This record gives sequence, C-alpha cells and structure tokens, in this order.
Amino acid sequence: MTEQPDSTDSTDQSGSNDANGSVPRTTVSIPSEIELPDLLDFYERQTAEHTQIHEFYENLDEGRLTTTRCLECGETHYPPRIVCPECMSDDLEYVDLPHEGELFAFSESRGGTPLGYHDTSPFVVAIVDLGEVKLSARIDDARYDDLEIGDPVSLKIVDIDDGTERERVFYRFEPRGEEQ
Amino acid sequence: MTRNVAIVGGGQTSWGDRDASWKDLAQEGGKATFDAVPDIGPEDIEGLFVGAVQPERFAFQSHVAPMVAELLGIDVTKMIARTELACASGQAALRYAWLAIAAGQLDVALVLGVEKMNLGKEQMPEMQASMSNVLDREFDGVNGLSAPPFFAWYAQRHMHEYGTTREQLSQVAAKNKSNAAKTDFAQFQREIEPEDVTESPEIAPPLHLYDCSGITDGASGVIVMSEEKAREVTDTPAWITGSGQSSMAGNSINNLPSYDGWPQAREASQEAYDQAGIEDPLKEIDVAEVHDCFSISEIIEYEELGWVERGEGGQFIEDGRSHLDGDIAVNPRGGLLGCGHPLGATGVSQALEITNQFQGTVSSDRQVEDATTGLIHNLSGSASVHSVMTLGRDPQ
Ligand SMILES: CC(C)(COP(=O)(O)OP(=O)(O)OC[C@H]1O[C@@H](n2cnc3c(N)ncnc32)[C@H](O)[C@@H]1OP(=O)(O)O)[C@@H](O)C(=O)NCCC(=O)NCCS
Ligand SMILES: [Zn+2]
Repeated sequence: MTEQPDSTDSTDQSGSNDANGSVPRTTVSIPSEIELPDLLDFYERQTAEHTQIHEFYENLDEGRLTTTRCLECGETHYPPRIVCPECMSDDLEYVDLPHEGELFAFSESRGGTPLGYHDTSPFVVAIVDLGEVKLSARIDDARYDDLEIGDPVSLKIVDIDDGTERERVFYRFEPRGEEQ
Repeated sequence: MTRNVAIVGGGQTSWGDRDASWKDLAQEGGKATFDAVPDIGPEDIEGLFVGAVQPERFAFQSHVAPMVAELLGIDVTKMIARTELACASGQAALRYAWLAIAAGQLDVALVLGVEKMNLGKEQMPEMQASMSNVLDREFDGVNGLSAPPFFAWYAQRHMHEYGTTREQLSQVAAKNKSNAAKTDFAQFQREIEPEDVTESPEIAPPLHLYDCSGITDGASGVIVMSEEKAREVTDTPAWITGSGQSSMAGNSINNLPSYDGWPQAREASQEAYDQAGIEDPLKEIDVAEVHDCFSISEIIEYEELGWVERGEGGQFIEDGRSHLDGDIAVNPRGGLLGCGHPLGATGVSQALEITNQFQGTVSSDRQVEDATTGLIHNLSGSASVHSVMTLGRDPQ
C-alpha cells in the first residue's frame, strides 16, 4: 500500500483493527509551509534565460514602458510578442508607449481578491487608455469613490521584493498629481 | 451535420459548499445521471467527455477523464477527453460529444462536468488566484484582476455608454436568485428583492455580493445519443439543433473587441441560429439558460444574443421580459447567480435544465409552458470566447 497524504482536516483515524495493536504505525511529515513557488507567482521570470521578451522588462527597469511593433506590417502589439499575430513576422522592434493615459474603466477589488494581493485589498484596478493600447493596471494612491472615467493617470514602476536576491519590476499607474 | 443528436436526460449533485472531494462529486454526479436514465448504464457508454476547469489546482489531480471512467466503471471504447475552456468547459464537452455522435463516430456518450472549488476560507485567495489566470497571467492576472472587477468594468462601461441603471442590475440578480428558490440543487435558495442587492457588501463596485455568482462545488451529467439510439430510450429528448462558438483573437485586455459588449456572442449565436433555422430568436426561443456570472453579463447577453438592440438590455429586464412568464424565460433554474457556478459543470447543468423543461420534469413553479425551443450560452475567461447551443423538442 502506498501512503496517501490526507489533504482534509480529518483527524479521526478510525479503523476496525484498533484493538489489535499489531499493525505498525508511524508518523510521516510533510511541509506545512512552502516558500511562494514560481508556479504560484503572478510575476513572470523576467530575464533572458526565461523569456524572449526580457527587453520589455529591461526597458521597464530603466523607467520606460515599451512594447513591440512589427517591422513587416507596422502593427503595434500589447502585450509584447516575439511573433506578430497579424502577419507572422518575427522581425519586431521595441517602441515607447506613453507614460500618461486616462482611466477608461475601473473598479476596486474588495472581495474575492487573489493570493498575494488579498492583504492589500481594497485596491483599484483599471483599464488605462494609452491611446494606441489599452492595458489593465493597478492604480495606486486612489479610492474608487474619488475616481471618474477619463481621469488622467501616470506611470509608476514597482520593484518586486520576493524575499530573494532576484530583482524584478512591474508597472502601475497613479492619479496624475496636478489634477487631484 | 450528418446525424441528429439528442440529450436524453441526466442528473446532478446538490451544489454549494459541499463536504465532498472532487472524486466524491464525480461519483455522485455520475450516479445521479445514470439513475435519471434507467435504460442506460455505464456499460452502454462509448464516449466520455469531462468538463473540468482546474482540477490540477483545486484538487491537485490531472488526467481526470480516465479517473471518471474508473470511478463510474465505464470501459470507454470510442472516445475519451477532458475539456478545458474555463467557464464554458461543460458546454465544450457537450459540443464534442455532439460532434462525435453527429459524425457517426459513436452512439452513446456521457458528458459530465465536475468542479470542486470550496477548499476552506484559508485557501480562498489561492483559489481566486488560480481563477484570475484565465486572462493573461503575466499582464492581467498580475494586477490582482479577478473576475468581479473585470465584470465591474463592463457594468461601468455599459452604464456609461447606454445609461443602464444600477436598479436594472439588481433586477437581474433578484430574478435569478429568486428563481433558484425553486431549484432543489441550487446553492442559493433564498428569494431576494432588488433592494437587497445594493444592501449586500460591495465586492467590486458597482457590483455587490448579490451581483456575483458563487464559489461552488458540484457535478452535472447528461447522456447524449444518436437519433436511432435515443428513440429507444425516450420520446421526449432535447435535440441539439445548433452549436456555435466565436473568439476574436483577443484574450488579454488590449485585444478585446469591446468593453461594453460581446460581439463574439453575437457571432456564436448567429452561427447556432443558422444551423437551427431560427430566424427571429426573440419570438422563437421559449427558454434560455445564459451565463449570468455577474448580473451585468445577462443584460449584455439579451443584446448580443440578438433579442434586443445594443443598449436596450437594461430595459428588457425592467419590463420583465426575461421573467418566467416573459418573452423568453431566462435562467428559470436560477442561473449562475442562484445555482452557483461549479465552472466545468455549469454548461452541462444548463443543458439538463432545458432538457427537463422539455420533458416537464422540473419543479412545477419554474416550468415554462409549452417550451419547444431552448438555448444555452456560456462565456469564458475574459469573455473572449462565447459558446451557444440551441435545443429543440423536435429534431428540426
Ligand atoms: C463574490 C465572492 C467574492 C464572495 O466570496 P466571499 O467574500 O469569500 O464570501 P463568503 O464565502 O465569505 O460568504 C459570505 C456570505 O455570503 C454568501 N455568499 C457568498 N457568495 C455569494 C453569492 N455569490 N451570492 C449570494 N450569497 C453569497 C455566503 O453564503 C455567506 O453567507 P453567510 O454569511 O450567511 O454564511 C465569491 O463568491 C466570488 O468570487 N464569486 C465569483 C465567482 C467567479 O468569479 N466565477 C467565475 C465567473 S466568470
Ligand atoms: Zn506584422
């Protein structure tokens, strides 16, 4: 028989042979906690050995929000790609996206918030219209009740501290200063 | 299509926060299905199609179709597969069974949808994290974007573009949750009034708790058969008269074709209507089970399924036209809002409801009179894919 780790909280080991006492019994341990494994981490592994869009993350690390444009057909993609979905060309270049945009739609995550974010709930999550592209993003320093469609927002870079040596970055937006 | 295909019947577990494992649910759902169709047993099943979205994450189990075959004692001789199409996985499984039978590959299939989602309060954030990865995890899920705020955007945009009101959202939720009070397997069986919706906690404004479907454990199954075999079993099956799907090369936010509508639903339904010979869906469809994962979804669906013009969905519910006694009885079962939404099981349960409506075996207080034409609809993921199936009391 193989051992079946019991994933439920059942503690009662009822068995018909209890009185018998001759069945050997031992305790095996499983980890009660594991470090956040990469397979449960929303943030991508961002370096060249893991992803061919590492240039996007390198640019972001330098404070530039960029994406790919197809040198064959001129299509701008978002998210960045390595193959153009319009024409299948892999001849792409990185181009800058604006760092300022408008709130196209927004809500606030107050319930049902995913792991890794639930302890920062509530937070605003929005569609930001940058003109050529629309992207989803968190809006920092804002509450749902204070916002309106069309409000200006600007880019901010966040450094991801995952408790390791690894340096990763991502982007968020925040209400643009002078308008507030 | 070459051969007519029918759903002859089926069954389901009770749905909710169940003291049961994934395997328990699969067994209960399988038993309920075979119990409901006494002429068919595991030995008759040639094809097995299992709708399941995230057993890898919610039950730490993959390769689940053979697991179901073993649990239910089915020697699959022709075709076995598990389908994953997020919230439309159940309908996708049904669609493949239909195709396999229509193409003459087999005569008798079991379609079983199973999902185990309630793992305890502590695991809820992890479960939600797994679900939010139906969008592009790297660029959308990473923003903490789960389903409620995503659909809240559509509510906000629909209100902004068309003047849809908060009250109209509440009317959808009250209708469906109250219908579920007539459904014995439903997760939420309490009648509510529209006013109760905005008094429930805000989950993702403008959406409140009662605007949301639930986190649900459950399984539903149907037996699908070729015409020749179906006629040996029942005189009143539900015939699959049309089935359409559409996605528009867009799954992540930037690439969605619309933020206040779902043109994919329009295309998928048109495809199904064409196959079924439905020319005026508002007049011809009697009963529909549509994907009300959130109250706003149903309003958009009235429009995109071609029943009213874009922007008029709010008025459709306000005028009571989707009530049990309306133009089309929409979600008599209680929908996802009332029954809950065990992802892989939902589409199967919707099809079973239409079948039972035709057979006159649903609870009499939700029976739609003289229903002969039905529809099921599911959206999935970022609503990037829409799946529509039409069902008829006659093969056409
Ligand atoms: C809305 C949601 C976040 C609520 O979850 P939650 O905040 O963890 O709620 P809880 O489980 O703590 O339940 C709190 C109470 O609300 C009730 N409840 C939970 N969800 C409910 C719902 N959808 N409708 C009505 N009541 C609900 C519970 O029964 C409970 O009632 P009680 O206090 O009387 O026992 C969750 O149901 C959800 O994520 N729904 C959407 C599911 C989804 O995204 N599916 C995919 C769609 S595309
Ligand atoms: Zn190109």
